[in-house]
Order: sequence, then structure tokens, then C-alpha cells
Amino acid sequence: MAATPRLKLPREAKKGDIIEIKTLLPHPMESGQRKGKDGKVIPRKIINKFVCTFNDKPVFTAGLEPAVAANPYLEFFAKVEESGTFKFTWTDDDGTVTTAEQKIIVT
Amino acid sequence: MRLISRRRALVLTAGSAAAAALGWSGKSRATPKDAAEAIAKFTGGKTAENGKISIELPEIAENGNTVPLKVSVDAPMNADDYVSDILVIADGNPLPRVVTFRFTPMSGKAVASTRIRLATTENIIAVAKTSGGQIFTAQKLVKVTIGGCGG
Amino acid sequence: MRQGGIFAAGAAFLIVAGAFVLAVTPASFAQAKELAPLDTKGDASIRPWKRYDKWPKRDESKFNTLAKISSPPAPKEPRKLSGPIKGDAANGAKLVSNRKRGGSCLACHVMGPAGGANLPGNVGPDLSEIGNANLTDEFLFNYIYDARVYNPETVMPPWGSHGLFNDQEISDMVAFLKTLKSPAVFKTALDNPEKRPAPVEKRANLDPMENPGMWAIDKAKELWSKVGSTGKSCASCHGNPAMQFKAWASSLPKWEPRLNKVLGVEEFITRHARATTGAEYLMETDDNRVLSVYLHNLAEGVPITVDVSNAAAKAAYKRGEVLANRKLGQLNFACTDCHGKSANHWIRGQWLGTLKGQYDHFPTWRTSQLVIWDIRQRFQWCQVNIRADELPPDAKEYGDLELYLAAQNDGLKENVPGIRH
Repeated sequence: MAATPRLKLPREAKKGDIIEIKTLLPHPMESGQRKGKDGKVIPRKIINKFVCTFNDKPVFTAGLEPAVAANPYLEFFAKVEESGTFKFTWTDDDGTVTTAEQKIIVT
Repeated sequence: MRLISRRRALVLTAGSAAAAALGWSGKSRATPKDAAEAIAKFTGGKTAENGKISIELPEIAENGNTVPLKVSVDAPMNADDYVSDILVIADGNPLPRVVTFRFTPMSGKAVASTRIRLATTENIIAVAKTSGGQIFTAQKLVKVTIGGCGG
Repeated sequence: MRQGGIFAAGAAFLIVAGAFVLAVTPASFAQAKELAPLDTKGDASIRPWKRYDKWPKRDESKFNTLAKISSPPAPKEPRKLSGPIKGDAANGAKLVSNRKRGGSCLACHVMGPAGGANLPGNVGPDLSEIGNANLTDEFLFNYIYDARVYNPETVMPPWGSHGLFNDQEISDMVAFLKTLKSPAVFKTALDNPEKRPAPVEKRANLDPMENPGMWAIDKAKELWSKVGSTGKSCASCHGNPAMQFKAWASSLPKWEPRLNKVLGVEEFITRHARATTGAEYLMETDDNRVLSVYLHNLAEGVPITVDVSNAAAKAAYKRGEVLANRKLGQLNFACTDCHGKSANHWIRGQWLGTLKGQYDHFPTWRTSQLVIWDIRQRFQWCQVNIRADELPPDAKEYGDLELYLAAQNDGLKENVPGIRH
């Protein structure tokens, strides 16, 4: 596990609501485009994929390139019809997967 | 826990130890051809129509390190008609591809925001694909600020 | 009067009695009356001070700093030219936009065809039609060489007498200026500095989704309960920081008679921790920064009110004012040249703010650096940028300058950590 992700989404909603979801993962997003002090290119190491599911069904996916800023931030929406769990996963170039989840009660 | 605080320390590290902040070396640039190729690969060569998609970006970015970007497409987002993918391109970056967003009807809105790196004053191009196979595009110029005192 | 006298005597007794009184007095009472322990012997930052690796290294030793006056004096007379200038206008065109030679003329001037450049500034006049003004070669040469011979109040760097350009290069620029005869054409409306809208800061400083500077607070809370070499932590005496420090940071910097200098939050942290928990939090280290962010953040929304009422503080304020007006470095800028005389103008693509507004958000997250900077590091960087030697962060001159700056920001509310360029 890398750093702790940050999430911002409501814990309760009405059936059929479109809710706003904000996520952020502290990560340097090393672009593979810059040189270090020794003149050598610093190897690329980025979060390349983000997935959000709700009750295991896909809601939103992002494919990230080195042009996404450090501490990748993603804001998107989800339409909720039932109570359940949002799951979020971030995949690092090195294979590390960071996950987070949050429940929502839909009435 | 140790790992977490070390990572955090890395992010917070002061000027002395921090590597140059910019994500890009700034030397190499994509060519318009690179950008066009990336778009063609995404659209499968189909012609894109203007409109329906909008890009929100500052007209002037204080630096190219973390530029807020929002793309949105006006679409019903039901099982019969939704935006499936959006590709964002920066035509002056060393690598033109920036991010791709993939939506489902459960997304509710074809709207997404992130923060991006820009190497220079350049055009941001967004291309959206719908479930019905339509392609929409829009473009916006962002001026990346040059500082006063130089190097 | 009598009562006042008794009270004053009591206060004096408390100070003299020192640690004993502290030990037997309820914490809240002690805090109101006691002088906080401070290490008064060592330095609060590394010695010898070493410029950050990533910052440019140049020999600026012959120019003014906040600690010394050594720049060559302004010439009294314009230099006489032996004949008409022989210059290469094409090379001049390159020189006026060369950012490596002190930022380039475009930082302050719109310049005709070069006005097509990205985001020129407007600190100085638009020079697009200067070629029609019938100015002599000698005047143009001397204006670039050292404009102070014609205008002692100018903010223009003395490009020649401070050695930024040689005589031939200045002649080339003169030749270029004489070719400028038609109004500037801008690539986009935003390139015109007269039409460019002033930036509006919309980011919420205290939103951790927006400002990574906020993450410092979690780290600071860990440090707060970390036990130092004396077996104590910050929490040993300050168990309720939210109450105890709800206004404290807004009252600093402060004149400190025990050190004979002005102390800001960051130097206070170093010296107080050394004298209490034994922890070493040197200025401009990560731990010091996060603690400063935390203490400022506890004073969120409290108006900045620094004490310049006593004689020593008044004198420090006066010294700070003099320093804010001192011309520094090879570019020969005073703080007030950019943030006073030229405030609310564009220096290239960057907006120059007034002194008021340059303090309330410090320490601040810098999006260009991806780190937190405190105000002393900001002072240092400004000086490096204008090609002056910076001082160690605990230099007494910075204390005086910070007191003056804080007083200019009186009444603005603490809003830390900031997030800025």
C-alpha cells in the first residue's frame, strides 16, 4: 500500500440521485520526462489506471498518462438506485494497487 | 505506516531535496502529427463533429504543473445513449495524450475533472465517443505563464 | 494607579521566579504570565547557510543585500558617445527577449514585433513606437546602461553599470529599438497586458482535495506528541492546542528582547522546542514547516495584529521599512519596487500584488515547487531571483522585514496553508 487516498462523496442519497465523487491519491506521478541531477532520465512511475465500481459494477474508469499532475485528482459522478459500496482502485506502474471504499445509503 | 510517512515526506520535501518541480523537461515537444495520430487511433479514423462537448480550463495558467481541467458532454447517459469515452490531448506536450475517461450509464453525467501538466502555451483537445458511435470534439488554448525574473 | 503598580510588581516577580512558578501555577495562568522558554544561544538555521541546490548559483557578492550596502553607485553623468551607434538590430531583438539575462525587456515592456511574444508585461511603458520618438543614440544607450542618470526614481535595472550587458550588446538593443515604429500586434487578446484580466484566487486554502499543504497538519499532529530528548513533547505543556493557540500565530512576528531581534513563528518553533522538548526543528526543514502550518492554521480567521507599540519593536519596524526600500542585487530591485511602485501591473505573465496580501497565507503550498514555503524562504527566493545573496532564514534583517510586512497586512485574516503559484 502506498499513501492513503482521500475521498469525498455523500454517505446518503435519494434513489435516482446523481452524486458527485472526488478522489485524490498522494503520488509524485514521475513522468519519465525529466532528468535528475546526474543527467539521467528519472524513470517513469505513475498511477496509470483508476477504476470506480458500485456494487461491483463499473461506474467510471480513467487511463492516466504522465501529463496528469502529481497527486492525481479525479472528480466524476454516479447515479445511485440502491444502497451499496463504492470501490476505488489506483494502479501504479510498478503493479502496486491502492484501494479504498465507501458505503452509501440510498432511500 | 512507515511507508506512508516516507511517501508523504517525499511529497512535502523542501526545495533543497525536491527534484525540479516541473513534470516535463520542456525540451521535446509533440508535433501536430503526433496529436492527430493519437486522436485517429481513438476515433478509428471517423470524422469528429464540433460541439456537444465542452472543456473548462483557465485561459492563463500560473504554471504548467497543475492545471485544472473539466470536460463535459451533454448526453442522456441511459443504456441506449451514453458517452462511452473521452480522450484529452495536449498538442504541445512531449507526449500528447493526457487522460482518457470511460463512462457507463451508471456515471449519470458525462462529466469529469482532473489536474494536468502543460509544457507550454498549447491547445487542449477533447474528443468524445458515444455508445451510438458518434464522435464530438472541442479545443481550447491555454496560455502558460512565463515568470518575470527569468533564470 | 496603585493597583496597576502592584500588578506590575507581581508580573515582574513571576518572570524572575521563572521555572518554579511555572511548575506550581495552573497551566492557563502560567501561559498568560510566563515568558516561553527559548534557546538563545545557537543559530536557528544551518550554518554556514547553503543555497538550495536547485536555485541558480551566481557571484552576486558585490551587490547590496539586506545585510550590507555594496552595489556600485549610480553614475552622475550620462556616458558620452564618440559617434552614432553601430549596432546589430537582429542581435538586439534576440537580447531583448533573452530570459537568461535578467528576465528580458519583455518582462516589463510591450515591444512592437516582439509584442507578439507570449504575455509581455506592463511595468514600464510600451516601446512599440519608440523608433518614432526622435530620441538620440546617447539617450537610448544611457537609458539602458543606467536609467538613473535621467530618472533617479526608476525601477529599471542598471543593465550596463551592473554588468548584465556589455556596451556592444546595449548598442545592438539601441539599434533594435530604433526599428520599432508601429503599434504592437498581439497574438491573442490576453497577450495585451492592458487588457489582461487580473488573476482571481478561487482555490479554497483549507480544502485538502485542493491544497496538499493541508496534509502538513496530520504530520504536525504526530510531531506534537512526539517525545524529545528531555522526555517531553509539545503536548506535555500544550494539551489543548486548538484553545491555547487559537490566536497566537496572528500576533507574530514579535520583538524578542532576550534575542534582541524579531522572531517569527518558524524561529520561535526552533528555539522553543530546543529549550523544552529538546527536539531540533531547524528553520526551513520539513518538521519546522509543518509545525508552522499547524500553528498558523489554528489561528484561522484571526486578523493579523502585530505589536509595534514598544520602542524596540517600533525601531525594528522602522528598520524593516528601510530594508523594504533598499535596492538589492544585480537587478537592483527593492521589495517596494515590485510590490509598491509597480504593484497591480504585470511582470511578464505574473501579476505583482501589493505588500498587503503577501503575508496572510504563509506558509503556503507552492504549485510550481510542490512544497511548502514559509515567508523567510519566500524572502530568500525573491532575492535570488533579483540576483542578490540571500541571508540565513534566522537573520535579524528578515525579522525586521517580516515585522514591517506583517504590519502592512494588519487586519487581514490568517488563512494558512495558502496555495499559490
